[in-house]
Amino acid sequence: MDHITICRCEEVTLEDIKNTAKKYQCSAREIKLRTRAGMGYCGGRTCRPAVDAVMEQVTGEKPGHDIPLKVQPPVRPVSLATLRGMQDDK
Amino acid sequence: MYDVIIVGAGPAGLSAAITCREWDLHVLVIDEFVKPGGRLLGQLHEEPNGEWWNGIEETKQLMDKAESLNTDIRCGISAHHLEKVKDHHFIVHTNKGNFEAKNLLIATGAAETAAPVPGWTLPGVMSIGAAQVMTNVHRVRVGEKGIVIGVNVLSAAIARELQLAGVNLHSMMLPAMNSVTKEHAHPKKVMDGLSRIAHLAPSAFLRFGSRFTKSDFVRKLATQFYPKSGVKMWGMPIHLRKAVTEINGKDRVESVTVFDITADGKLIKGTERRIEVDFVCIAGGLYPLAELAAVIGLPFQYLEELGGHVPVHNKKMETPIDGVYVAGNITGIESAKVARAQGTVAGLSIAKKHVDGKADLDYRLLKAIEQVKTIRNEATIQFHPHISEGREKIEQAFRRIVHS
Repeated sequence: MDHITICRCEEVTLEDIKNTAKKYQCSAREIKLRTRAGMGYCGGRTCRPAVDAVMEQVTGEKPGHDIPLKVQPPVRPVSLATLRGMQDDK
Repeated sequence: MYDVIIVGAGPAGLSAAITCREWDLHVLVIDEFVKPGGRLLGQLHEEPNGEWWNGIEETKQLMDKAESLNTDIRCGISAHHLEKVKDHHFIVHTNKGNFEAKNLLIATGAAETAAPVPGWTLPGVMSIGAAQVMTNVHRVRVGEKGIVIGVNVLSAAIARELQLAGVNLHSMMLPAMNSVTKEHAHPKKVMDGLSRIAHLAPSAFLRFGSRFTKSDFVRKLATQFYPKSGVKMWGMPIHLRKAVTEINGKDRVESVTVFDITADGKLIKGTERRIEVDFVCIAGGLYPLAELAAVIGLPFQYLEELGGHVPVHNKKMETPIDGVYVAGNITGIESAKVARAQGTVAGLSIAKKHVDGKADLDYRLLKAIEQVKTIRNEATIQFHPHISEGREKIEQAFRRIVHS
């Protein structure tokens, strides 16, 4: 069961998350940064609830009113050219 | 600069756009999908009164109205950031450049919760919503014979749609319990959810199911003595005492491994067997898709009744950031009819700020808010039994935040 993939984009397994939590005794945020769970191409849209659930179980941190594991722009994959682009509406 | 940019051309976004255009606001609607309609497009079900709810038809009606009002609706545009420059001046960053507006309506709907089961990354495994879009929007057959993992309001409705399209489904059953599947793997909790849609199903399940709604004790008992062959809904077995532990296959889905489970969801040794399938639909329910609300800095509340983290808002669909509005499933998981009615409310709230001296607008806004409540109470599918309490809590949170 521990070999199950949780984050598909970064290929992070349940085992990776559990081992990281055990080794570093750290917060959900630190686990995310160390394993890259939820930080791949999809921006966590596929795995965010699963990552949250695993983190809650592993770290014992209960979900509060703030969104766990902060959302950062860009929330969709965009090219650097788009980010640099100065196109405005006409 | 636009008076309002609406992100999301689903039932909420489109109805809001129509209302704003009726008051002659300068409106832009963007949506990242190739067609307008959002998740409405995939919906097809028979209502208890015998009438059919056809999402494609409903979308067409909204689009006809929007087009008759010359509404600017652009598809294939994906917003990746929302920025507030100053009061009533926002920038929407998209893959097709930036757009500026005095007001924003975030109507981004919901996303599916993945319920990972070992083997879920094999080709042939999809979310139940993906199966719905392939079947009803793209008209692609998802496979020859499949199984649905996860029994809830959404998966039962979509399983029926797949059946209507002639797709062969073996059955619906639960995912095996693991760190992620939690309540989706618990027969008693799933039963609580199912009792809310029992009225939609004919015959045996109707009689069987409606009894469960009565008392907690009966539901417990029903889970305990749940028939081994499952309960049939539209001829398809729904198993609450069987669970899928693994999806098997070399390069694609070939079978699933299934165990009988206890009323608490524990696997029963020696009951293992394989069922051959070539596709698997995983159904983990929906959660409000609120990324854009998060990046513009809206505060959130975690409310299970509404499906997870929702941006704080009031009945008028206003948020604590002046000029930013929300409508539809981003405010809580409910039916498309509720989303559409909320869109009208948001549209009127926005119009009220820009059209001077029309007392009539206040009255219309009150009426529209009442209409949302009426539609909620008449809903045939309730995604959560305590939805109204969740709505009350978010209203209180809005007052707390705005007055502090």
